Amino acid sequence: MRRVDDDGVSVLVGDDRPLDVCLDGRRIWTFWTRRDTDPVAPVDALARGPWPARRAVWPKPLRAHLNGTGRITVSDSVTGRELFDKTVTLGEGSGPIRVQNRRGVDLGIDKSGRLVPTFASRSDRDIEALLDATDAVLEALREAGVEPFIAYGTLLGAVREGAVLGHDSDADLGYVSSHTTPVDVALESYRIQRALAERGLRIARYSGASFKVMVSEGDVTRGLDVFGGFFDAGRLHLMGEINTPFEREWIYPLGTAELDGRPMPVPARPEKLLEAMYGPGWRVPDPAFKFTTSAHTIRAFDDWFRGTQPGIRYWDRHSHYAKRKPPRENPSQLGRKAAAVAERIGATEVLDVGAGRGRDAIWLARQGLRVIAYDYVPRALDLVAEQARAEGLDLEVRHLNLTDGRSVLAEGARLAQDSQPRVILARHVADATSSVGREALARFSSMALRAGGQLLTEFHPTYKTPPGAARVPDHTREEWMIGRPDPEVFAALLRKAGARGVRVVNRKPTTRPVVRVVGVWRGAGK
Amino acid sequence: MVQVSDLRPGAARAQIRRLEERVAELESDLTELRRHQVRLAEIVDVVQELLVPLSGRDEAAAAEAIERFQRSL
Repeated sequence: MRRVDDDGVSVLVGDDRPLDVCLDGRRIWTFWTRRDTDPVAPVDALARGPWPARRAVWPKPLRAHLNGTGRITVSDSVTGRELFDKTVTLGEGSGPIRVQNRRGVDLGIDKSGRLVPTFASRSDRDIEALLDATDAVLEALREAGVEPFIAYGTLLGAVREGAVLGHDSDADLGYVSSHTTPVDVALESYRIQRALAERGLRIARYSGASFKVMVSEGDVTRGLDVFGGFFDAGRLHLMGEINTPFEREWIYPLGTAELDGRPMPVPARPEKLLEAMYGPGWRVPDPAFKFTTSAHTIRAFDDWFRGTQPGIRYWDRHSHYAKRKPPRENPSQLGRKAAAVAERIGATEVLDVGAGRGRDAIWLARQGLRVIAYDYVPRALDLVAEQARAEGLDLEVRHLNLTDGRSVLAEGARLAQDSQPRVILARHVADATSSVGREALARFSSMALRAGGQLLTEFHPTYKTPPGAARVPDHTREEWMIGRPDPEVFAALLRKAGARGVRVVNRKPTTRPVVRVVGVWRGAGK
Repeated sequence: MVQVSDLRPGAARAQIRRLEERVAELESDLTELRRHQVRLAEIVDVVQELLVPLSGRDEAAAAEAIERFQRSL
């Protein structure tokens, strides 16, 4: 075969089979010999054989750790047959290869290709802690009025192995609502979240019917995913992956299965649900299993429940390092403009919507303004908030999600209660959100600016407009861009939301065109 | 019913294209309808949780209701 080097793992391939890659006996990665590999030229005469040689390249997050020497074994995930077992030296580093985070927790590649703490490396005590957390969330869900059961990977582990799967990084729970329409299912999900929040649980919502409950065990925080489902016209829709003909009797009344010796609620016919989740081959272990949900199912879930945080994965990933790196010292031009406008109209408060790392927010606070920095990933503002506290600045960080109507209306109502002239700064927000988000920005502005003020926005529009020339469409896009709004359409949106004066100014483009749209709201009676 | 125009050369291809366009239209119509579900849920949730406290005259109670609501988002 078979070769392990800085590029990856080369194998001679027959069938498509899952292989486990272990470092010093601990699984760090599983790949499929066809699905996850590319053909390579045979490295030597011995490699020439009836099967093509293929290479699985190291996943990027893993590559960063592969410096030093370690014993790498590659074996068939299903049969356990060893295909490679050698001590190899990788990268330029010396000393042992360690695939661990800074706290020394062992990491492995999960089914989504992320490098995460792995259960297999963890002690019985850690598993116990996870099971305790699972029990606590199950109990909270029951008190909120639904009948939860373990689902997806957690159910698979319980039914197939009676244990938490070694390569699984989270726990999955589900429930099936007694409601039959998505709107009622979402309302119920909000109500459940409220009940859980009252108990002090930390929750991140993913969609109108699913959320993650964060439970900290020692210094590791894990997420327990809660998926809502419902029956309609003989089909089970379970958030995430499932839309299939199903009988209610296959779920309720719930039965019990053991997970590492702990009884856990499972559907009445768990094998039926597992088949819907993993296909008829669910009995055969496959750590590299990837969900392949039908486009039809994805579309239905997208339409009914999703679209409530577009682009969040990008910003979430971004915030991991953003929270350690301070923003630039100088404000943006729009940030400076916000300070000037605030002074001119006598506003003392600036709302920085989509504040990112807080570059403008902290600068504005340093100018003596009261600043509220809003973001749907407020974690990226931790550093600036800390800095502001140290400097005694009036800067508050608040969560705002423009694509969740509840977030916008509640915060809008809060600001409307405290009516005063304000300046709202929204730099590269209109192009980083959906049309729903843009409408919400207009509505939010109308609520926050009841006593008058201005909304200052800048974004990359749909087209280039060289001075004196016709519009040229510009389709280039960065990963964070959700839409490239048409400035005139956006301006019309602001007028509809009550802006009396709206100015559209084309900025001197750098790499791609930038437009500034300013909306002026006049206070009541003005 | 078979129409005379269906018998022209290329008619089948044109018909398939028309059907494909129609399916795409129906899909986008369906999306438009289904998108209302979660938006309606958001609005109903806000109305249920905030309408009564906000329509009262007690500002402190209103502020508290908003804060409690925001904690659950």
